[in-house]
Formats: sequence, structure tokens, C-alpha cells
Amino acid sequence: MKVSIGWLKQLVDLKVSMEQLVTLIPMRTIGLKETTKDFIELDMKGYNRADLLSMRGVARDIAAITDSKTNFSDKNPKDYTWVGKNLPEVKIQIENKELCPVYCVAKIEGLKVGKSPNDVVKKLADSGIRSIDNITDITNLLMMEYGQTIHSFDATKVADETMIIKLAKKGEQFTTLDGKNRVLTDEDLLIADPKKILSLSGIMGGKDSEITESTNTILLEVAIFDPVSIRKTSQRFNLYSEASKRIQHGLTKTNLLQTLDTAIRMYQQLGGKLTAISLVGDLTDVLRKVKLTRKKLNSLVGIDFTAEQVEEYLKKLGFTLASQGETLCAWEVTVPYWRLDINIEEDLIEEVARMYGYEKIPPQKLRGKLPPKIDQRLFNLIYDLKSALVKVGLTEVQTYSFYSTDVLNNLDWDKQSLVMVANPISTETEYLREDLWPNLLEVAAKNIKHGFKDVAIFEVGKVYLPQKSDLPKEPYRLSIALCNGGENPSLELYQIFQKALKHLAGEKMQLHLRGGGKGLYENKYFHPKRFAFLDHKDQPIGGVAEVHQRFSDKFGIEKRVAVLEIELT
Amino acid sequence: MEEKISRIQKEYLEKIKQVLTLNDLDEIFLELFGKKGQITLLPKQFPRLIKAELKIVTPYFNKVKAELELTIRKRREEVREESYRKLSEEKFDLTKPLIIKKRSGHLHPLTQFEKKIADIFSKLGFQQYDAPQIDTDYMTFQVLNIPENSPARDLQDTLYIDNKNAGFQKEKLVLRSHTSNSEIRVMKQFKPPLRLMNIGRCFRYENLDARHEHTFDQFEIVYIDKGVNMGNLQFLSEYFLKEVFGTEIRARLRTKYYPQVEPGAGIDGLCIFCKGNGQWCKVCGGVGWLELGGAGMIHPVALKNGGIDPNEYSGLAWGISPERMVMIIEGIEDIRLFRSGDLKFLEKF
Repeated sequence: MKVSIGWLKQLVDLKVSMEQLVTLIPMRTIGLKETTKDFIELDMKGYNRADLLSMRGVARDIAAITDSKTNFSDKNPKDYTWVGKNLPEVKIQIENKELCPVYCVAKIEGLKVGKSPNDVVKKLADSGIRSIDNITDITNLLMMEYGQTIHSFDATKVADETMIIKLAKKGEQFTTLDGKNRVLTDEDLLIADPKKILSLSGIMGGKDSEITESTNTILLEVAIFDPVSIRKTSQRFNLYSEASKRIQHGLTKTNLLQTLDTAIRMYQQLGGKLTAISLVGDLTDVLRKVKLTRKKLNSLVGIDFTAEQVEEYLKKLGFTLASQGETLCAWEVTVPYWRLDINIEEDLIEEVARMYGYEKIPPQKLRGKLPPKIDQRLFNLIYDLKSALVKVGLTEVQTYSFYSTDVLNNLDWDKQSLVMVANPISTETEYLREDLWPNLLEVAAKNIKHGFKDVAIFEVGKVYLPQKSDLPKEPYRLSIALCNGGENPSLELYQIFQKALKHLAGEKMQLHLRGGGKGLYENKYFHPKRFAFLDHKDQPIGGVAEVHQRFSDKFGIEKRVAVLEIELT
Repeated sequence: MEEKISRIQKEYLEKIKQVLTLNDLDEIFLELFGKKGQITLLPKQFPRLIKAELKIVTPYFNKVKAELELTIRKRREEVREESYRKLSEEKFDLTKPLIIKKRSGHLHPLTQFEKKIADIFSKLGFQQYDAPQIDTDYMTFQVLNIPENSPARDLQDTLYIDNKNAGFQKEKLVLRSHTSNSEIRVMKQFKPPLRLMNIGRCFRYENLDARHEHTFDQFEIVYIDKGVNMGNLQFLSEYFLKEVFGTEIRARLRTKYYPQVEPGAGIDGLCIFCKGNGQWCKVCGGVGWLELGGAGMIHPVALKNGGIDPNEYSGLAWGISPERMVMIIEGIEDIRLFRSGDLKFLEKF
């Protein structure tokens, strides 16, 4: 959210300097992405504060944290532009009420398309929005101010001036404003007229009903759509508009009415005339009440707040408090309509804590009994083993949990047995590893290419093995790779490993060799003679082998490479 | 000209057939395709030819060129297969006495740092706990107050598992995008008081660049007891920074939203380079503080889902990114180096 500094100053009588403000916002409200002389950008990624997607919401919070006053009323005016006018209705058919609980359309005639005044263009530019024409700009300006999405259709292009809200038919096609043709599913909510689709609800309009130079009558839409439905459609088309972002975070009816009223007034100033209006749906916000006790507040923050402090902080933020008696030290707190993120006592506690300032909360040592000991053997074994391997001259590497395309292609790996990513970033992150040594072979090749004559590396990490009726198994494995320039590296590798095991204090790992035989490590990847199982307590836990030259050749390694891999338990 | 080409073709096809070693084959390749190779030089004479002649010579030359290349490649495979067959005659002996080469080994910088912080927190009674890296969407998100289709999911672009291959059909699986999937497991497995830490690999849908990785580690501690509060968050943050960086480094909490905690906090540390007063400090960008991690009081919904009564107990979660810390401390500018396997990088540690 880009907050225009000039606009913000119109909405709040700021009692602090901009410099002070930009240090305070991240401490009290939200992190900042960027600060320029024209705007400050709030880091909204994943945030739950719907109100901060509007200039008014931002102004309210900034007023609260800087002890300043806003210059606008939070209450709805009584004299809405349409009240008592006896206007005809715009024809609206809502086929799916759950997905569109509120739908309002105003018809405005007598407009003339032209340029917007400079101050509007500047406000929009600061907000990161390009000025288009005076009619469209009003919708964008109000969306920024109130956080309510608003869309204008050229009335002459809406057949029978009838708006229909319905789900698309599977396979139906629609070209959005950005010129892309979209194939719809039966989960996508549409605005249509009796003949054609007008817009992908709350996300993007279509080319056909766009405002053009000749537009003089518009149908102005302000509505509330189901956030989940809009989010799904946005995700499916990878189409995230300023409007869809706001719908996903949640809209309020009070904002909606204020937006509609202000829009009509602004169009009237352009010479427009309101000639029809329809308001469909329940138009009053239900205010939530949340209980707050000082006991819970103080125990969670670790500070003794006074009742006055609590009341002062919350009132500044627009909450109203009804005390439930001095002795109880509890309040019934009414949440202002614009704070959709406040639902439970802990949410209120955060409000009090941030108004006080997290940075002022004094540190408190951990008290209470230490929990009973739990098994730490595996973690200790892993670290001790790593240290021992380093002592005997190996270097630890960490590789991705995936098999790269080079590994898969060079080794012609059987992908059927691998855990697979459903939405890989690229083919390099599509398949999860089931052994470590192929990644070590790849790392060895890279380093040899970079001029290393001797590569002695190991990795300890998880591999991922599918299981029929449970999560994939994720055992920790150790793998070692050695390319020492000689003709028989497995000999040195094995002795390095044995030496490392001797360093392992306490954990006696007696491994036995079981050469030859058929099974686990006799496969095409290894030297026909040079491979052996490693057993621990008569159970095979891995093996040691020379990589078959056919495969080291594929990685461009001319020398012999030996690998070892065992499971750690 | 045609004759010349035909002569080269005959001569070299025969030579290639006779070759027995890769070295000899390389030599032949150079004789033909090297800088002064016969095939390389031949087209330089083409401009002297008349048009009609050229029409015949050019395609013929190209055909021969391709044929020679292919024959060399095939022969190379054959020579290799020949040598592969000889592997069966080699011996395997792992016990023959041998002097192990002297090498200097290196622990991965992340291992070193993670061990350090695990030791720091084990002094306060925190113990390690492991959790799966592939987990259900339910355990990773929903149970922690992160429902499907909530905008909070945008914080973590998630990699999902294709259930077809995983064999586990019942639930949606993810590559965990944070270590917090351990939270619910420890709450269910142990009774409070709880002091646990999870260090491990996480994954996100990120395109790689110097600042972004799809694979990274997280370090997270979970502390649940009666009366756990935000003062404890401040204490743990300071304790950590002082143990890692020394006494003059202060910690600062600031408001931050994470769906699995309420209240949520961002953890800043006084910039370790300019100590908070460097206007021109490159590391902190002149802010004086560095964003180091995230924390908060465990959301009552998460506590309840873990079988813990939020009216009796409270808990905190506190986490940092080991990569980010090591990058700051060591002045590493490219996060991809950690998993590159690049020995030039790893041997510095």
C-alpha cells in the first residue's frame, strides 16, 4: 500500500515530523517497504489489516499512534445523495447471494470524459496508479481513500441496462481489460448483462464496457463479494488487482455507503446527474464486542497497565469501552467497523501493547521448572559425527533436497519412486532426493571443473521416501564422496570413515563390511567389483562403492569417485 | 575439391576405427576440428570455386563433416565401454594399509552457527525436537490459525507435494514453509512446561537470487508455561544477541503480524557494525537496527488445537533465520552460496 504523503497530511493534522513518523510506523503499526518524498509504502504482504488498504484507515492509525486528529468523520452522513429523491431502480439480478451479499448500482447521466485535475492525478500517482480519465480516476481515488472497490461501466454498453451477478459456465471465455482471454470455471463469479459478460467480479472488468471518450452515462457499481471466492479466482488466473486485494481482506458496509455517496457527489461536480439507484443487501455493519480483562492483559504483556492507560489507548484507536466494574477490571470493548482483524481478547491485548510500545516492555527472565529431559541422542550423534569427519579432513557441504535435472538425466534416475512436487518452481525443484550421494557426485564434478584436484566432502541430511499410508519417511543419512585422483578411492574413503568413527566419543559405531553379494548396492551406478554393504548390529545401514565410470564420465569427472552412504538412527 | 574431401573422409574413418584410447581419439579430433584442423581449414578454399562446383561441394562437405563427428563420438563411447568392461578385472580391497592424505576439513557455516545457538538455548533448558519437512497442510497451517484461502497464506508461497507419488492420499501435503509445524506436535506429545527448539530445513516457492532461496533453515524455540509473557520475548531476544554478538548489542521488539501468534512481534538487533549510530552504515542502511527474526505469543487457537488450555497456560514462539545471521556476521552477499557446494566458499569457514 503506497500512502501519498500529501494526501495523508490532508487527512490528519500531524503532530510529528515525517521523519519521526517513518520511524514510528514500523514500531507501532506495520513495516515499511519504501519511503520517498511523495509516498511511504506499507509492507502489506500477508497482513491482516484490511483498514490499512485505505488512506482513511492509515490516517486513523497514524493519528492514534502520534496523538493527532483526523479531519474526517467516521460516521455515515444522514443526507445521502439519493435519500428522498424517489429515483427509479437499476435492474439487478443476483443469482448467488452468498457470493455477493451487497450489490449497489447508481446510474449517472450527463458526464463528459476529460482529464482529471492535477491534484487528483498527483494523489493517484503517489498511490502508484496511473490517471486514465476523470470518470475512471474517481473510482480509483475513492478505492484508495475508503478501501472499497468501485467500478464504472459505460451504461450504453450494458444490454438492457441490467446487471446480472452469476457464476460462470465451465469453459466460458472472457477477455479482461488487460487484453487476455480467460477460460472460466463454474467457480468464477461474473457480472453480466443479459447478452454478455461484463466483468470478472471484483477482479477486473472487460474491454467491451470500458469507459471511452464518448461515454456520458455510467453505471457505478459498489459491492461486497465473498473474499474466498475472489481469492480463488485471482489465484487461478494469477490476476491480482488492487480491487481483488481489498476484497480478499474484507470490506465493510459503512465504507461502501460512504464511498457510493462521495462518488455520486464527485460526479455531480463534473455535471453528472443521478437518475437511478439500487441498493441490494443488508447495509448495516454488525459491530463486534470483545471482552478484555486487565488480568489477562497484564499477564500476557508482563506489564501492570492501569485502567486509564487501557482506556486511553483503545479509545484513540476508535474502540468504545464499557467498564464492567472497577473490581472486575474488565471491559466490554466495541470494535470499530473498520477493524475486521480484531476478534478475540488477544487481538485487543496487542493493540494496547503496541500503543504502549513493545520496545518499552522490560525483559523478564524465564521462571518455572525445567521440563523433563527428552532424547537428544540423534542430534548429538549428528553433530559429533560431523565434527569427527571434519577432523579427518572432510568438508561438509549442504545440497538441495531436490535432484537437479543434471542428476536425473546423467544418472537416468527412476523418477517413479521419488516424492514429487506438485507446483515446482522449475524442473530443478520437481523431484525430492531419495539418496544423498548423487548430489555429492554433482558437487564433486562442479568443484573439479573449478580446478580442485582433490575433493573430499560429506553431507548429513534428510532423504524422502514415499510410504503407502503415512507421510513420506525422512531418515537422516550421511554420505561421503571422495575423488583423490587415484585409481581406487574407495580404499581411502573407507579408511577415512573408520578413522572418523574412532573419534566419535561415547557413541560406539561398530560397522562391519559385507562385500559382494546381491542387493541394495549392487546396481548399475557402481563399479562391478567395488561395492560393499555396511552393517550395524547385523543390519545393513548402507554401503560404500566406487561410482561406475559410465556415470562419473557423464558428469565430466575423468578421475574415479568413491561414495559412502549410511542411515543415521 | 570433392576428391580432397573424399580422401579426408576415407583416411579418417579408417583411423578412427583403429583407435584404442581416448587420448588418441582426442588427437584425431584436433587434427580434423582443431584450429588448424583439416575440416576447419577446408571451407577457406571454397570462395575460389565456381558457383556450380560450390553447389555440389558444400552439401557434400557438410555431410562428411557430420559423419566424422558422429563416428568420433560413437568410437569414444565404444572405447569407454571397452574400458568399462575391464573394470570387472579390478580388485576391491578396503583393508589394505594406506596413509590417509592430510586435508583440512571444514564444518558448514550453518552447522557451526546452529550448534552455537542450540548450545546457547540449551543453557536455558531448551531441548531439540525434530519435525517432518514434508507435512500435511493441516499441521503446517490450519492448526496454527492459518486457514486455507486466508490472505495470510501470501506470507509463505508454499511448495505442495504431488500425492500421486507420495502414496499418501488422505491429505494435502506440503514442503513445510516454516518450522512451526513442530509446535503442534510438541504440544500434543509433551505436557507443559515446554522448552523446545526446532532447527531445520524449510522450503518456499521463491525464484533464486542473491537474496532469495527456496531452501533455507529456520531456528525456532517454543516456550509454554504458566505466566509466559512478552517480557520473556524481550529477555530471550537480548539473551540471544548478547551471547552471539557480545554485551553492547541491544534487542528491540516491534509490532508484526504472524497469524500463528497474538500479539506478534518482529525482533530487531542494534546493528552490529555501526552499533546504531552509523548514518552511512551499509549493513543496516543507516537505520541503526537490523531485522533479525519474528516472535510472538502463541495464538490461543493454536494452543487449544495442541490440547493446552489458553486460560491456564501461555506460550511464546521465537525464531530467527540462521542464513541471515551468518550472512550479516560473515559479510556474505549471496544466500545461494550456502547450498552451492562450492569448496572455495566452504573452505573459508
